[in-house]
Amino acid sequence: MPDVFVSSKKTTPIKKTLYKDLPMQERRPLASFLMRPHGVSFETKEDEEQIILFLRKHFVTNIPWMFTSTVMFLTPTVVTGFGILDTIPTNFKFVFIMIWYLISMAYTLESFLTWFFNVYIVTDERIIDIDFYNLTYKEVSDANLDKIEDVTYKMGGVIRTLFNYGDVLIQTAAEITNFDFLAVPYPDKVVKVLQDLRMEEQQEALEGRVR
Amino acid sequence: MIISLSIWPVIKILVIILLGIYIVFAFVIVRQVQLMTDTLEVGFEKQLKFLSFLHFLFAIAVLIFSIIIL
Repeated sequence: MPDVFVSSKKTTPIKKTLYKDLPMQERRPLASFLMRPHGVSFETKEDEEQIILFLRKHFVTNIPWMFTSTVMFLTPTVVTGFGILDTIPTNFKFVFIMIWYLISMAYTLESFLTWFFNVYIVTDERIIDIDFYNLTYKEVSDANLDKIEDVTYKMGGVIRTLFNYGDVLIQTAAEITNFDFLAVPYPDKVVKVLQDLRMEEQQEALEGRVR
Repeated sequence: MIISLSIWPVIKILVIILLGIYIVFAFVIVRQVQLMTDTLEVGFEKQLKFLSFLHFLFAIAVLIFSIIIL
């Protein structure tokens, strides 16, 4: 019996995504924005999972603590130059200066580590927020891309406009409802990539694919 | 009878206690760096571990030096 209606064989082509067209970037440990970085890994990464974006705060945000550190390291030279510590016995003066340098070192190291380990990762399956609040507390949270409900970005102020960085605020339906990518470079690109990834997730869900 | 009291022996004890606590703190940094480099691998692990260990050694050196010269 002939078919009454035969649907056309045409299939909807998958929308071309932005991130797949970009070349893989070599890992640069101190970079704030890496697209498809090669050789970067994190604790809970699955074998097939691919990192699309690797972000941390813009390098410019380090200037305040770098300035403070410089002042701290120069303080003993200035103080001894003006003879402020002359009333203290020499051996105590020497130990106090050493302690001051220790504290300066700890402050510098802690500030650097806080910047270095506060990273935001976007993979082809989820978003991950690794927070290093201080030397004794860390927090790692993640949410699947299909749980993302709303993405907005904020960019304002002279410095942020000049160096092109801002905050990307992600609302999710996951247990942790807010993911804030703070002071990340190129927030517009981050939003575009997230949009592409979400569309691809929707496409996968429609086609019944896992990946 | 006049008792002459000097403040410096007290300060010496305080400095040594402070440096003892600081060494614990420096060790916490070393451990935390180890844990964080396990969490995230970006190719800067050796340098970071070296820096934190250097800081720890410096703290020990200052404590030993303080005990000797104070």
